Amino acid sequence: MFRTEEMDINMGPQHPSTHGVLRLILNLDGEEIADVRPVIGYLHRGVEKLSEHRTYAMIEPLTDRLDYVAAISENLGYCGAVEKLMGLQIPPRAQSIRVILAELQRIASHLLWLGTHALDLGAMTVFFYTFRERELILDLFEQFCGARLTYNSMRIGGLLEDLPPGWTDRVRHFLTIFPSRQKEYEDLLTVNRIWLGRTQGVGILSREDAVALGTSGPTLRGSGVDYDVRKAQPYSSYDQFDFDVPVGKSGDTYDRYLVRMEEMRQSCRIIRQALDRLPAGEVRAKVPKYIKPPAGEVYHVVESPRGEQGFYIVSKGSEMPYRMRFRAPSFVNLQALPTMCRGRLIADVVAIIGSIDIVLGDVDR
Amino acid sequence: MRPRLLVKKSASDGRNGQTVTDENDIKGEGPAPPGDASGTPPATAPEQSAAPKTPPPATPAAPKPAAPAAPSSPPAAAPKANPLTAPVPSAALDRIREKFSDQVIEVTYYASEVTVKLKQERAEEIWRFLRDDPGLRFDYLSNVTAVHWPERPKPFEVVYHLFSISTRQRLNLKLDCGEGEQPPTASRVWPTANWHEREVFDLFGIRFHGHPDMTRILMTDEWVGHPLRKDYPLEGKPEDHMQLRDVTTAEHVYTYDKSSIKGFGWKKEVEKTGEGRG
Repeated sequence: MFRTEEMDINMGPQHPSTHGVLRLILNLDGEEIADVRPVIGYLHRGVEKLSEHRTYAMIEPLTDRLDYVAAISENLGYCGAVEKLMGLQIPPRAQSIRVILAELQRIASHLLWLGTHALDLGAMTVFFYTFRERELILDLFEQFCGARLTYNSMRIGGLLEDLPPGWTDRVRHFLTIFPSRQKEYEDLLTVNRIWLGRTQGVGILSREDAVALGTSGPTLRGSGVDYDVRKAQPYSSYDQFDFDVPVGKSGDTYDRYLVRMEEMRQSCRIIRQALDRLPAGEVRAKVPKYIKPPAGEVYHVVESPRGEQGFYIVSKGSEMPYRMRFRAPSFVNLQALPTMCRGRLIADVVAIIGSIDIVLGDVDR
Repeated sequence: MRPRLLVKKSASDGRNGQTVTDENDIKGEGPAPPGDASGTPPATAPEQSAAPKTPPPATPAAPKPAAPAAPSSPPAAAPKANPLTAPVPSAALDRIREKFSDQVIEVTYYASEVTVKLKQERAEEIWRFLRDDPGLRFDYLSNVTAVHWPERPKPFEVVYHLFSISTRQRLNLKLDCGEGEQPPTASRVWPTANWHEREVFDLFGIRFHGHPDMTRILMTDEWVGHPLRKDYPLEGKPEDHMQLRDVTTAEHVYTYDKSSIKGFGWKKEVEKTGEGRG
C-alpha cells in the first residue's frame, strides 16, 4: 500500500535566497507548498527599546541599521518625524538635496534587489552589471557623507553640510550613463523566456489581499493599487516634482519586477528636476542645540524603496523619546508571503521572496 | 518592452493642498516651542523677514505663499494656541461622533493628526464602520503598536494608524488597556493586524481577544518577560533578566546560573508564572 503525507521542511535561517536570516517552515504536499510559516526575529536588536534611552540626535545612526540597504530613506523618515514633532521648517535647499539623496538611494536599493533577485533565479550576469552601477552611487554617497552603507546623512533640521564641490556634476554624469545601463539589464531580462517562465503568474497577490494585508511599496503597486506616499501625502518637497507612479496589473512577480524597473526611471527623472532647480541658501534650519520636542505624538510616513516606512514618536517633552516605533515595510510585506506561496512549487518561493525585496534588518529591527 | 505595465499619472489630489496649508501653520510657529514665550509677534516677524531671503528664484511657488499665510495666524492666536495642537477638520471623526458618540473618550490633535481614543466595547464595530463606510473607506491599516504608561490606572495604550487609499486621509485610533485585559483583535477587520498584534503581545504582553495565533514573533518562544515595558531593564547583569522557559514541557524555566562551572550554565527551576505558550 502506498500512502501520502505532508512534510515540513525548514528553509533557512541559513539559506542564501532568504537574503539574511529568515526561516521559513514549509508545509509540503509533494513539491507543492501547502502552507508557509515565516519565523523571524533572528536579527532583532531591540532598536525601539534602545531609542527610548537615546537622545534624538543619537537615534539617527540607529535608523541606519534598520534597513541597511536603504539607510538614507530611514534617515529622511526619522528626521522628518522629529521635525514634524517640533514643527520645524526645513530650508528648501536641504529639502531638494534630501530628495536627490533619497532617490539615488532608491536606485541603489533597487539595483541590489535586481542583482540578487536575478541571481536567485539563475541569472548571474545581471548581478555584476547592477553592482557596477550601484558602486557609482555608493561613491557619490561616500563623497557626500563619508560612508558607504550606514550614512547618517541627515540631521534634524536639514543636513550637516552642503554638497561637496563637483558633486552635482558627478550625479549628472551618472544620470547620463544610467539609462543605457538600465537598458542592458532589461535586454537581459524583460523579454527573456526563462525569466518570464520563472516570474509570470508566480506569486500572485490580488489587489484585495494586497490592501488587506497592508503591503506597501512595489509589492502593493504591483497588484494594481495606486498608492505611493510621495504622491498621496508628499513630504520633503516631493510635491514640486513631476513623476509618475507605475502600477502593475496582475500582481505577480513579473509585475513587481516591472514596477521597480520603472521606478528607477522615475527616480532619475526626479533627480534631474531637482538638480536643475536646486535652490541656493542654507542647508540647516535654526535648531536648538539640545533637541527637546514638545509633548505630543506623530506618525510620519515616507516611501522607502520597500514601501511605507512609518515613524511613530511619542514625546513627553524630554530630550529622549518616550516611545519610538518603526513601522517596517519589509515586516508587513513579508506577512503576505504565505498568501503568495500557497499552491506553488518550492522553487517559486525563492522567486517570491526575491520579489518582495525584504531586508531582514528592517523585518526584525 | 513593458507590455503589461500601466503607468498612471496621478494628478495632485485634494489632500495635497490641505497638507500644505497645515504645514504653513506649523511653519509660522516653528521657532516658538523650543524658543520662548517672550513676545510672539516680534519673534515671528524677524523669522518671516528672514524667510524670503532664502528662497531662490528657482522655486518660488512653494515657500512664498507660505510666508504670507503664516504670520496672519500667529498674531491672531498669539499667547495661548499652539498651532501644533490646533484642531483640524476630520470627516471620520465627525462620523464617529455622529454614530458612536458614547464610545469616544478623548480626541487629540497634533501636527494636523487626529487621534481618537475609543472604548473597547464596540471597537470592532467602529473599525468595521470605518473600513466599510463608502465616504471614509479606511481600508488600509498602516500600523498597530502600544505605549506603556506604568503610572496610569490602565497602563497600556494600543494605537492604530489607519489610512484610506481612496480618500488619502489618515486617522489614529487608541484603546486603553489594563494589565491582563484582552482588547479585541483587529485582524478580523484588517488581516494585516495579525503580525502587528503578535509583536505587541511579544514586546508588551498584551493579549488580543480572538487573535488566531497569539505567539511571540521577534523574541524566541522561550523568552520570559516583555522587553518594551518600561520596567524591563535596558541592560544589566544576565541573571536579572536572562531567563528562558522550557517550551517543550512548559513547566520549567531555565535560569542563567553564574555559580555553576566557569560561570556558564543553565539552572532548571520550577516555573512560577504559569504563563503558557501563546
